[in-house]
Amino acid sequence: MLSWYSLSFSQSPLALLGQLSLLLALLFGLGGLWQAVVAGRTGDPRPAQSAAHAIAAVFGFVTISVGALLAAMIGSDFSVRYVAEHSMASSPLWIKITGLWGALEGSIMLWLWLLSLYAVILTRTACKDSLRPWVFSAMLFNLLFFIGVCATIASPFTPLATIPTDGAGPNPALQNHWMMAVHPVLLYLGFVGLAVPFAYAVAALITGRLSDHWVSAVRRWTLVAWGFLTLGIVSGGWWSYETLGWGGYWAWDPVENASFIPWLLATAFLHSIQIQERRGQMRGWNVWLIVLAYASTVLGTFLNRSGIVQSVHAFAGGPVGGVFFGFLAVLLLGGIALAAWRAPRLRDSGEPPHALSREGAFLAGNWLFVVFAFMVLLGTLFPTLIEAVQGHRDTSVGPPFYNAFAVPLGLGLLLLMGIGPLLPWRRAEGQSLWRALRPLLIAGGVAALIGLAAGLRHPGVLATLALCAYNLAGLAGLTWRHLQERRAAGLGGGLSTVFASQPRRYGAYLAHIGLVMLALGVVFSTVYRQDQQATLNLNQQASLLHEQLELTGTRSVNRSDGHSLIADIRIDGQPYEARMNFYQQAGSMAFPAPAVRYGLWGDTYLVVSAFDEGGQWVSVRLVESPLIAWIWLGTAVMMLGTGLSLVSPRRPRLQEAVSSLPHAAAATD
Amino acid sequence: MTQPERGVTPLPQAKRRRRSPLPSILGGGALLGLAAFLAFGSLGQSLEYFKTPSEYQLEQSTLAGKPLRLGGLAQAAEYDPQTLNLSFQLTDGSVTYPVQYTGAVSDMFQEGQGVVVRGRFSESAQGADPGVFQADELIVKHSEEYKVPETQAEIDQLRDLLESAE
Repeated sequence: MLSWYSLSFSQSPLALLGQLSLLLALLFGLGGLWQAVVAGRTGDPRPAQSAAHAIAAVFGFVTISVGALLAAMIGSDFSVRYVAEHSMASSPLWIKITGLWGALEGSIMLWLWLLSLYAVILTRTACKDSLRPWVFSAMLFNLLFFIGVCATIASPFTPLATIPTDGAGPNPALQNHWMMAVHPVLLYLGFVGLAVPFAYAVAALITGRLSDHWVSAVRRWTLVAWGFLTLGIVSGGWWSYETLGWGGYWAWDPVENASFIPWLLATAFLHSIQIQERRGQMRGWNVWLIVLAYASTVLGTFLNRSGIVQSVHAFAGGPVGGVFFGFLAVLLLGGIALAAWRAPRLRDSGEPPHALSREGAFLAGNWLFVVFAFMVLLGTLFPTLIEAVQGHRDTSVGPPFYNAFAVPLGLGLLLLMGIGPLLPWRRAEGQSLWRALRPLLIAGGVAALIGLAAGLRHPGVLATLALCAYNLAGLAGLTWRHLQERRAAGLGGGLSTVFASQPRRYGAYLAHIGLVMLALGVVFSTVYRQDQQATLNLNQQASLLHEQLELTGTRSVNRSDGHSLIADIRIDGQPYEARMNFYQQAGSMAFPAPAVRYGLWGDTYLVVSAFDEGGQWVSVRLVESPLIAWIWLGTAVMMLGTGLSLVSPRRPRLQEAVSSLPHAAAATD
Repeated sequence: MTQPERGVTPLPQAKRRRRSPLPSILGGGALLGLAAFLAFGSLGQSLEYFKTPSEYQLEQSTLAGKPLRLGGLAQAAEYDPQTLNLSFQLTDGSVTYPVQYTGAVSDMFQEGQGVVVRGRFSESAQGADPGVFQADELIVKHSEEYKVPETQAEIDQLRDLLESAE
C-alpha cells in the first residue's frame, strides 16, 4: 500500500494538496462509516448526524482535490503527472478543463466527486428513518472504494522523475467536438446516481424493512439517475454522429453496450418498483434488479478500464481493471449474501400478478428488459469468452448478432408500453379490455396501411409504425378519458391543469411519447439510410444521391493546437463547410468534422475523406438519414417527461377527488 | 437488530405464502431461449474472425465465404482518386492476397502501411486460389513500426500490433 501511496514533499504544491486532501477524505470516510454503522446498530440519531457531517467533509476534501487537479490543468503545471501525460500548454481553456475526464485517473476522480456530491445531497434530503444510517454506510463504503483507488493505483498526483517542458496533450479524438465536454459528465451522473437506490436496497436488506417504504424513497433518485443515463447515452450517440464521419450513432461497441446494460436494468427497475409501491409485490425482484443495475455500471467501468474487451473508447489497462473486478465481486457477492439472508422477508403479499393487469404487463416488460440486458452482455463478452477457451483472440461480434434480438425485443417492449397504462391494477375484465384496446389496434392498423400506401415495404418499419400509432392512440385516449372524468366531476381545466394534477402520470406519458419518436427515428434512419462516396473536382458539378454537388474551394486554417483543412461545397445551392482537423500531438492523422444540415424529415451529412494537396479535388461521402433528428428530439421529450414526473402534484385534494371516481382507479398511475 | 425509532411502528411482516416460482422461471427461460435462438442463429454470420493471410491459408476450407477481418501490410497499392478504386496486395511476409476496395483513401495510405480490411473473399473463387478479397471497410493502422516480417516471431508481433490497435 505504501509503495503505491507515494507522498513526497518534493512534489509540486498542487499535487501535494490534491494527494493530502484525498488522504483526509479517506480518514473522514472511515470515521463516517464507523459512526454510521454505530447509528444503524443502536438506533441513536447522534452518530447518524456525525456520519452526515463526515460525508460533508469527504465531499469538501474531494472537491479540494479535484480543484487542485483542475488548477494544475488550467495552469499547465506539468509537475503533476496527470497534467504532464494528458494536457498541454497550447490547448484552448475548455480542452484543458475537460481533460479532467479525458483519461483514466481523472475520470475516476470525476466519478468520485459526483458520488460524494450525491452523498452530500442525500444527507440533506433523506428521511430520518431507520434506513438512513445504513444508506449512509453503503454510500460511504462506495466512496471509500473510489477514494482508495484515486489515492493509490490511479492517483493523478504521483510524482514525476523529470518534469517535461510541455505535456503529451489530450487525446485528439476527445477534443474534436464540444460534446466531449458534456457526454462523460452526463453518463457519470447517471452511473453514479444508481448508487443511491443501491444504497437504499442494501439498507432495506440490512434492517429487514423490506416493506414498500424504500422503493418510494428511491423513486425520484432512480428517475434522476435514469434521466442522466439516457441523456449520457444519447449525447454519446450524437457525438459519434457529429465526429466519427460515418453518419451513424451506434455501433454496438463494447463500451456503448456497457452503458446500455445499466440503462435497460434501470428502466426495468423504474417500472417494477411501481408494482411494489402499489401492490406490495416483486420485493425480491426489485432488490435483485437494483443490485444488478448498479453492479453493471461497475462492470462497465471494469470492461472499459481493464482492456479485456477491445473498443475504440477503452483507456489503457493497468491494475485498475483488476481492482474494479474485485469491487464488482464484492458488490455482487454482498448483494447475493444479503438477499439470501433476508429471503424469508422478501416474500410478496397478496396474489401473484395476474397476466391481464398492469402489474402483469410491467412484469412481462421487465422480463424483456432483463433478457435484453443479458443478451447485450453476452454479445459484449463473447469474444473474451472465446479467447479464454482458445487462448488467443480472433473473433468479434458484429451488429447482426445484436439486431437479431434487439428488433423483436424492442417491438415487444413497444407493444407492452402501449397496453401497460391501459390496464388496471390487479385484474382486467376481458370485455372492457377489448373495448379499451380496440381504438389502439385500429390506429395501428391504419398507420400500417398508410405506410403501405406510401410505399413502405420493410416489415420492421411497418411494425414499428403500427406500434407507434397504437401507443399514441392509447395515451391520447387515456388523457381524453381523464379530461372527461374531470368535467363530469365539475372540475374544469385544460390540458395543463390535468398535467399539473397528476404530474407523475403525465410525465410517464410524455416519456413514452418521446420513446415513440426515438423508435421512429432509429428505425427510419437505419432502414432508409443512403450513403454514397465520390470525388469532386473543383468547380465541376457531380450528382450524388439525387443531389447536385459542387466543390467551390478548399482552404487551410491554423488553430492554436493544430490546423484544419476546409472544403467549401454546395449541395443543391446550399453551402456546406466540411472540415478535417489535425492536431499537433497526432501528427498527420486526420479527424473529420462533417458538415451536417439538420432537418425534421432527414439530415444531409457530408464528410470529406481525402484532400488533394493542390486543392483540385476532394473525396467526399454523402449520407442521408431520414428522421434521424427524431432521436434527439424524442430524447428531449423524454427528458421533459422525466422532469414532469419529478414534480409534486400541485393540488393533492383535487387529485383525491378525481381518484375517488369509479373509473379513475383504473386510470391513475 | 435495529431498534424501531420513536413514532415508527414496525410494519407487519409479509405473510408467508407458498408460491411456486415455476411460472416466472419458465416464462423467463422461454424468453431467454428464444432470444438466444434468434441471436445464435445469426451468430454464424455475425461472428467475424481476425486472420492474417497465412492463417487464412491454413483455414481456408472452413473460412471461405465468411465475413472476415484480414490484417497485414499493404503493398503495390494502386489508387485512382477519381473513381475511388483501390487495389493492393495484403501480406504478412509469407502469404499475400489481393484486396479490392472502393472508397476514399487519405494520403496516409502508403506502401508498407499496416491495414485491417473487413469483408470477404469473392464467391467465384475455386480450389486453392481464394480470389480477390472484397473489402467493405478499410482500417488503416498508423504506426511507425511496420516492416515486412521474416520470422514467425515477427509475424506474431505484427498480428498483435494490428489487432490490439482496434
